[in-house]
Amino acid sequence: MSEKRKAVRTYHRNLAIVLGILLLIFVCIPLFVKSPYVLNIFVLVFYMSTLSMAWNLLGGMTGQNSLGHAAYMGLGAYASCLLITKAGINPWFSAILGMVIVGLVAGIIFYPCFILRGPYFTLVSIAFGEALRQFIINSAFFGRASGVGLPFGRDSWLNFRFGSKIPYYYVGLAMLLLVYLLMKKIERSKMGYALRTIREDEDAAAAIGINPTRYKIMAVVVSAMVAALVGFFYASYIRYIDPELMVLAKSTESVLPAVVGGAAYVEGPLVGGLIMIPLSEFLRAKYSSILPGINMLMYAVVLLIVIRFRPTGILGWYMHSKLKTFVDTKILRKPPIEVLEEVELAKMSGKE
Amino acid sequence: MSDSKIIEVQHITKRFKGLTAVKDVSFSVREGGITGMIGPNGAGKSTTFNMICGYYPPTEGKIFYKGQDITDKKAYEYTNMKIARTFQIMKPLKNLSVLENVVASSYFGHAAAKNEREAKERAMEILQFTGLYEKRHILSKDMGTPDQKRLEMARALATRPEMLFLDENMAGLNPAETEAAIQLIRKINESGVTIFLIEHIMQAVVSLCEEVIVLHHGEKIAEGTPAQVMNDPYVMEVYLGKKEGANA
Amino acid sequence: MSTFLQACVNGLLMGGFYSLMGMGQNVIFGVMKIVNFCHGEMLMVGMYLTYFLCTTFGLDPYLCVPLVAIIMFFLGAVIQHTLITPSLGTKSFTNLLFLTVGLGLLLSNGALVLFGSEYRTIPTSYSQVYINLGPVTLALPRLISFGVLIVVSIALFAFLKYSTIGKQIRAVSQNPVGAEVVGINTKRIYILTYGLGTALAGIAGALLTGFYTIFPTAGASFGFRALIVVVVGGLGSIPGAFFAGIFLGLLETMVALFISPSYSDLIVFVTFIVILVVRQLIIIRRK
Repeated sequence: MSEKRKAVRTYHRNLAIVLGILLLIFVCIPLFVKSPYVLNIFVLVFYMSTLSMAWNLLGGMTGQNSLGHAAYMGLGAYASCLLITKAGINPWFSAILGMVIVGLVAGIIFYPCFILRGPYFTLVSIAFGEALRQFIINSAFFGRASGVGLPFGRDSWLNFRFGSKIPYYYVGLAMLLLVYLLMKKIERSKMGYALRTIREDEDAAAAIGINPTRYKIMAVVVSAMVAALVGFFYASYIRYIDPELMVLAKSTESVLPAVVGGAAYVEGPLVGGLIMIPLSEFLRAKYSSILPGINMLMYAVVLLIVIRFRPTGILGWYMHSKLKTFVDTKILRKPPIEVLEEVELAKMSGKE
Repeated sequence: MSDSKIIEVQHITKRFKGLTAVKDVSFSVREGGITGMIGPNGAGKSTTFNMICGYYPPTEGKIFYKGQDITDKKAYEYTNMKIARTFQIMKPLKNLSVLENVVASSYFGHAAAKNEREAKERAMEILQFTGLYEKRHILSKDMGTPDQKRLEMARALATRPEMLFLDENMAGLNPAETEAAIQLIRKINESGVTIFLIEHIMQAVVSLCEEVIVLHHGEKIAEGTPAQVMNDPYVMEVYLGKKEGANA
Repeated sequence: MSTFLQACVNGLLMGGFYSLMGMGQNVIFGVMKIVNFCHGEMLMVGMYLTYFLCTTFGLDPYLCVPLVAIIMFFLGAVIQHTLITPSLGTKSFTNLLFLTVGLGLLLSNGALVLFGSEYRTIPTSYSQVYINLGPVTLALPRLISFGVLIVVSIALFAFLKYSTIGKQIRAVSQNPVGAEVVGINTKRIYILTYGLGTALAGIAGALLTGFYTIFPTAGASFGFRALIVVVVGGLGSIPGAFFAGIFLGLLETMVALFISPSYSDLIVFVTFIVILVVRQLIIIRRK
């Protein structure tokens, strides 16, 4: 037993070292990279991956394919912007209020919609996003098609306003990590099991005592709230928002990192985002003046190739690859799953 | 063993757009026993089953569980009442491992696990009990039919039921696998779980059930011990007689 | 009164396009149970194809219709064979959904790369000819398009109802396994169906070029309206799609006339959500 424990401890230590090094790299990047262009790409990776993780809670984990996440993000951006500009509320506080508002709106709107299954839910999510966008375009309060701007001014943590990109980089990274930990926590919790059961089969879920509607609402509310947080971050970063933020194409864009990376895994959107977004931005910067749309074209091609040849995404491929075996045995020194399980169970019962 | 009735079905009828699938069926299930329901294809067995399990409400009639009217309860409320079911068409959580399948069930029902440890420990115990322990890390979609059928039962058992409904749990199994399934069902019953099952395989019904209900064209045509039912002339005619005729 | 009639006629015309798109979408959904999220982009491809044929060979846009239909049919058949059929086997709704979404992205951004984002039109000698029909004035291209739409719709009805392939398509939509058992090659039917759906979208695109501007995202609004039409008219029901399309066209123009043009999208989407939810509630009640 003690030998097994030691092996598990070594594995956990190695895992912590590898993850620590990765994190350290990301923390140190702004110390060496001063180009605002490169930093901008990282900020983009952070918030788009976060948005994609929000989608993945609903799409990947619960099997409800939403194509309306740009709308939640947009609504969150609008809510926090208007709270800042019209009500004079502190940005940090209005971010929280915005999340609550969007969570409520999503919950109320989707409560009746969750009697719909499969493609119907996707269609309603598109219609909801478009209806919301049209509503904003027609509403003077929301600034119609011309949008809402946030005031510029001196750098301030209190007002979450900076001339440099570096503070946004760190806040974005923190947001990404927090949301990742939240998703990881959900995945391992009762809610995570309920959501995955619903994804596999709603009738089977009901048969073991899961109320599918209740859990789907929980998923949609959490997902929409995270999207609203991303909206707040986006608005604070760009300092200007308009209804274009909520078009269907943006919702699609928020899904791509998850599907390319592997929608069945919490890490999928991170892997997909880290690979796809820099590539897309590089293409956009390099060729968009001669060939507009080339970055999205590349996105589409990669998406089609992944779905056609690697339906479980990059991570799905990695999980069954020789690379993983190599990493597990040689670098992490991962003990066999039975040993891990035994030690884990022993540890858990020791705790009580 | 007590003689109290755990389930009482009173005059249930189900009509689908004018088609009467089940007509005025009444019966009861004795607590602690194994009761079976048989009948030819299209007799309304599954419809009756689904009504009792809350999948759809009966058009007419009432269903009682321990004296409580449960006619309008939703499917997801059943495990809280200590009732669990399996599906004829198996519904394993395909992309989850066998262990995860059972852990998911452990989190729900009247005795829902409070934490990860409790859920995992219960799942391990159930997997030992159903003989799936060695296969716990396999994805459930990669297993064969007999194991998937076992998994169906394991998932139901993880909700700690007192009443278990089994919907054709032996269909598609070979004789040896059927025998193993019979042993498992008997073991479950001996652990104190009342069982109600639908089955096509006569061997299983005869060896397991104390009481049998026969449905035909949506109506109950006989009930009693397996021996009584098998010797009922009407049952022989519509059910067994027909089968012999078809075989001849 | 005459503005009302004029709006009715315009609504009918746009409704005809929505019907045609919806019927194509419906055939695809009926047979493969997948929602074709690139249906609007197929219409856009039809528009650019017409534009290309007209500017390169100097053809009249309406003469291009059959040509566009044939080319689009083959495009659809190739896509079905190489991309959709293999993915149908994985039985993953998410993958199939994002496959068609990805195709949509590919087509619209491909058009953007190839043709740029500028708006294009196909000038014809008769584009400014107006016909007076009682109190209603109609541009000649709209009138011709509407005529062709009706002919194509009737031909589609007849094709699905009487031809052998049409019957096979209907058989597969009702029961793919049963169809396979009686000897229908379902893979071939998938190819024919997707080709047919794409061809119908292409025809709609070609017919639009007479009076509509061509740009890479021109298909988006038609694509989503086709989905509305399918859902409101009933999945798998071709006549349902036809009437739902007409209804949608009329609803849009009436909202534009009586409330405000800028509200027409909002009301269309809200009506859609309400119809969908209410209908589902009724179905659940009945159960």
